[in-house]
Amino acid sequence: MLLNHLRLSFRNLWKNRLLSFLNLLGLSIGIGSVLTLMFSVYAFYIADNNIPEHEQIYYVKTHLTDGNDYMEAAYPLMDKIISTSPEVEAGTHLHGWGNVWLEVGDKEFQKETNYADPEFFEVFGLPFKHGNQSTALKEKYSIVLTDKVSQQLFGDTNPVGKSLIAADTLNLTITGVLEPISPYSSFRLGVLLPNTLLKDNPGFKRQINWGDSFSPIFLKLRPDVDIAQLESRIDQLVHNNYSDPSVISRMEIIPHSKMRMDAIPVVGIIIGGNIATSFFVLLLVLVNLLNLNTSTMFRRTKDIAIRKILGGSSKGVITQFCLENGILVLLSILISGGLFLGVLLPQLNDVFGADFGKINFSFTDDYLVVLGAITLGIAVTLVVGILPTLRFVSLPVSQGIKGKINSVKGNFFFKNAFIILQFSIAILFICIAIILNSQIGFMKKADLGFERENVIVGNIDLDYKNIDAANSSFKVLLDNLKANPYVTNVSTSQAIPSDYYFNYTNFYDANTDTDVRIRRSYTDQGYLKTLKIPLLEGRDFDSTLDNGEELSVIINRSAMEAFGWNSIEGKRLKWKNDDSKGHRIVGLMKDFHYQDLQNAVEPLVHYYNDEKDLAAHRYLSVRVMEGEEKGVQDIMTAAFAKIDSRKTFAQSFLTEKVSGQYRLIEGMLKTINIVALLTIFISCLGMFGLISFMAKRRIKEIGIRKVLGAGVLKIVVLLSKDYIILVSIGALIAFPIAWYMMNAWLGSFAYSIAIQWWMFVLSGLIALFITAFTLGIQAIKSATANPVQSLRTE
Amino acid sequence: MLLQLNNIFKWVQQGGQRVFLLKDINLEVEDGEFISIMGPSGSGKSTLLNVIGMLDTFDEGEYDFLNESVHTLKEKYRSNLYKEYIGFVFQSYHLLDELTVEENLEMPLLYKKVKGSERKALVADMLDRFNIVGKKDLFPTQLSGGQQQLVGVARALIGKPKLILADEPTGNLNSQQSEEIMELFQNLNKEDGVTIIQVTHSEKNAEYGSRILNLLDGRKI
Repeated sequence: MLLNHLRLSFRNLWKNRLLSFLNLLGLSIGIGSVLTLMFSVYAFYIADNNIPEHEQIYYVKTHLTDGNDYMEAAYPLMDKIISTSPEVEAGTHLHGWGNVWLEVGDKEFQKETNYADPEFFEVFGLPFKHGNQSTALKEKYSIVLTDKVSQQLFGDTNPVGKSLIAADTLNLTITGVLEPISPYSSFRLGVLLPNTLLKDNPGFKRQINWGDSFSPIFLKLRPDVDIAQLESRIDQLVHNNYSDPSVISRMEIIPHSKMRMDAIPVVGIIIGGNIATSFFVLLLVLVNLLNLNTSTMFRRTKDIAIRKILGGSSKGVITQFCLENGILVLLSILISGGLFLGVLLPQLNDVFGADFGKINFSFTDDYLVVLGAITLGIAVTLVVGILPTLRFVSLPVSQGIKGKINSVKGNFFFKNAFIILQFSIAILFICIAIILNSQIGFMKKADLGFERENVIVGNIDLDYKNIDAANSSFKVLLDNLKANPYVTNVSTSQAIPSDYYFNYTNFYDANTDTDVRIRRSYTDQGYLKTLKIPLLEGRDFDSTLDNGEELSVIINRSAMEAFGWNSIEGKRLKWKNDDSKGHRIVGLMKDFHYQDLQNAVEPLVHYYNDEKDLAAHRYLSVRVMEGEEKGVQDIMTAAFAKIDSRKTFAQSFLTEKVSGQYRLIEGMLKTINIVALLTIFISCLGMFGLISFMAKRRIKEIGIRKVLGAGVLKIVVLLSKDYIILVSIGALIAFPIAWYMMNAWLGSFAYSIAIQWWMFVLSGLIALFITAFTLGIQAIKSATANPVQSLRTE
Repeated sequence: MLLQLNNIFKWVQQGGQRVFLLKDINLEVEDGEFISIMGPSGSGKSTLLNVIGMLDTFDEGEYDFLNESVHTLKEKYRSNLYKEYIGFVFQSYHLLDELTVEENLEMPLLYKKVKGSERKALVADMLDRFNIVGKKDLFPTQLSGGQQQLVGVARALIGKPKLILADEPTGNLNSQQSEEIMELFQNLNKEDGVTIIQVTHSEKNAEYGSRILNLLDGRKI
C-alpha cells in the first residue's frame, strides 16, 4: 500500500510538474533562508556554551549621572567586591592593552592579546588542552595560547614549557594551551598574559586608582544570588571608595551572555530581526503551500469520491497527500541545505563576518540544526498535508463524484486572508528596504561638516622597530609631500572621522558650574585645513609658536554649548578641583561629524601634537588635487617601504573610511533586500499557481463570456481584479506597521530622514507591478484560449 | 430478497419550499434481477441509484439491504456494506487518471486488504476475461471510451459484488460500444447471477433488463 502511495505521489507530482516545481522552488529558497537566519541566531546563542557554568558569570557596568555608561569600572573595585561579598566565587579583570609582538625562533607575530588575573580560569573555566588551569597565569612571565595560535606556531606538538619573546625583551614561558574556542564565541582570544605583567606598563599603572572607570571586571557568582542585593552593596562600595562618586548613578551586574548585545546594540536588532524574519518567511512558505494545496484538493474532489466508492478511507487520502508533500519538503530541505552551505552562509559571513566572527557549519557539532530542519520539515508536511484535505474528505460522495465543490465556499475567505497576509509581509519588507535604503543614502551623502573627497589617509601606526630613524624618515616624507605641487594639505593626527577613540575626560567650568564629558583626540596644525573643517572662532594650532602650544586646545561647538558659553574668548579647559591654569581654548571648530550619523555629535576637544611625532599619531591625511591621487600614493608607499616596521603601510581614501562606517547597516540592508525579494517571489509563486488553477476552474465561464462577446482585456481584468484588490488590502495593512517599525528604528539614529509618503507608494507599486506581471501571463493565456475548445470539454 | 425500499422520500429546501427529488418510492429487488430505471432528465433516476448505492442519504422511509436496515446504520457500517456487496459503473467511467488500467483494477482490492498474490491473480483474471491484457499498462486517457468503460465494469466486478449499479453506462459511447457493454451486462446477469440496476435513457438498452422502472418528478409511474 505504501509503495502504491509512493508511486502515485511521484506520478501526481510529475503530472503537475509546473506547480510542483514552483512549490519546490519556493520551499527550497524559503527553508534555505530560514535555515541561514536561524543558524546565525543559533550560533549566537551557543557561542559561549563551552564555558562551564556560564550562567553564573557576570560583568560590572557603570552608569553615570549624565546618562552615559561604561562596561568597565575602577580597577580596585573588584578586590573590594570579592573581600566583602561571600556570594562571589571568583573575579578577574580582563584587559586588552594593544596586541603585543611575540617571537618564536625567527618567526614574529601579533595576536589578539588579553591580560587577566590568575583567577581568570576560575571565572571562565575554558577547558585546557595542555597545561594546568589553576596555575597557568600565576607566574608573571607566563603566557597561555589558544589552540589556533598553538597550531600555527608549534603544530600538533605540546608547547607547554617552551618559551617565546614578547615585545623584544620579555622572556615568557608557555604554561597552557586552550581547547579550541567556538569561532563565533564572544571571546576573541589569541594569547592570554598575566595581569601582573601589564602592571609594569606605566600608562596602565597610572590608571589603577579609584577615579578611572577603565577596567573590565568579570565575576563568577554562586547560584541563586540576589543580584539586587549585590548591586546595592557594590553601589555602597563605590560611594565609600570612589574619588568622585557623584558622577556615578549606579552600578549594574549583567550576565556575561548579554554582553555582546550590550556592547553592540545593533546585535539585538539583528538577532530579533532574524527571528522575526524567519518566522515571517516560514509563515509565508506555509501559507503559500496551504494555498496551493487547497487548490490542488479542489481538483481532487472527484478522485477522493471515487476512492471512497471503491472502499477507500479518508485516512488513505490524507496519507497519500502527506506523502506527496513530504517528498516535496524533503527534496527542498536537501536543496535548501545546499543553498545554505554553498550560497547563503558565505553571503552571511560576507556581510556580518567582520563584526561578529565568521560562522562555520559542521555536521558533527551542529547536528542539532540538521535535526531541527528535519523536524521542521515533518511539521510543515503534516500541516500542509492534512489541513487542506480535511474539508474535502468530509464532502458527501454523491457531490464529490460530480466534482461539485460549492459547499467549500467558506474556504475562499481563508484563501483571501492568506493572500492578504502574504502580501502584507512582502510589502512590509519592501517598505523597510526602501526606507533603510533612503536612510543609508542620506547618511552617506549628508553634509558632514568637512570635505571628504580627495583625501588620502594612510595608517602610520605601524610598530616601528626604530622610532628615531622612523621619525626622521617621516619628516623627509612630510617635507616631500608639502613640496609636491599636487598636494594641497598634509596632516597627521591620532584620529580621523570614523575612527576617533572613545577617550573621554570630564571638564568643569566653575563660572557656570557645569561638568562636561568631552571626547578627546590629538591633531597637528594641518588637520582642520586638510579636512576643510571650518573654524568658527579663534585660530588653528600653530606649529611656529613655541610658547607651549601643547597647552592649547580647540573644541567643537557642542562642547562650547555644553558649557553654556557664547564664545570661547578667554576660556580655559580645566578639571574639577584643578589648581593649574588648565588648557587655553584657542579655537572653535564646526560640529563636524567625526562619527557616523547614528550618533549625535558629542563635545570634542583636540589637543596639539607635533606633526612629526609618529608615536603620537595614527593617521597621515593628505589632500590632493583631483586626479593626482595615484602619484602621491606611490610617493607615500615608497617612503614607508624604506622605514623598518612590523606592520605594512596601508592607505585608503577618507570617503571609503566614512562609508565604511555603514558597512554593518548596509549588510542589514542587503539581508533585508534579499528577504524582500524572497517574500515577494514566494508570494507570487503562490499567486501564479493559484490563478492558473482558478483560470482552469473558470475555463467554462471564460468560454461562455467570450461566446457572449467579452474581449480579451475584459477577461484579463476579470481574472486579475480580485487579486489586485487583495494586494492593495495587503499594502494598506503593511503601511502602518512599516511606518511604526521604521519610525522606531529611525529614532535610534541621531540624524535621520523623515519617512515620506512616496516610500509607501513606491513599495505598493512594486508589489502591484510584480503581481500584475504574474497575473497577466496567466490571465492573457486563458483569455486568448479558443472558447469552442474550452466549452467542448464539458 | 436483495433489497427493499419502503416509502422513500428525499427533498431539498429551495426558496423556503420543499422540492422533492424522490417521492414515496417503494421497490423490491430480488437476487438475479436486471432492472432498468427510465425517465426524463431530472426525474430522480440518478438520485434513486445513489440512494440504493448508499452514496446518498434520504429524508424519510426505510431501506433494507440483505436484511440490514440501512437507514439505521452508521456511516462506517454502511460503507463497509457497499464496499462488500456493490459495484458501481458510471457514465463518465470515473477511472483514476493517474493509475494504469491494472492499478485501477487493483484499487478496490487494496481497500479490501486482499493479499498481494491473490490480488495479482484476480486482476490477471479480470484482464483476461475482458480481453484487455494488452492494455494493462496504459493510462485511462490512452484508451477509447468503450475501452475505458470496459475497465470501469471490470473494476466494479473485481470485488465480486452481488449488485451492480450502473448510471447511464453507455451514455458516452457510440452504438457499437454500447451494444458490447450491454451484452456484457446481460451475460453477467445470466451466467454469473449478478443483480444489475441500470439507469438509462435508451429504450433499446432498457430491453436488456428483466424489469423497467419508470420515474417522473421523483415518483414511480
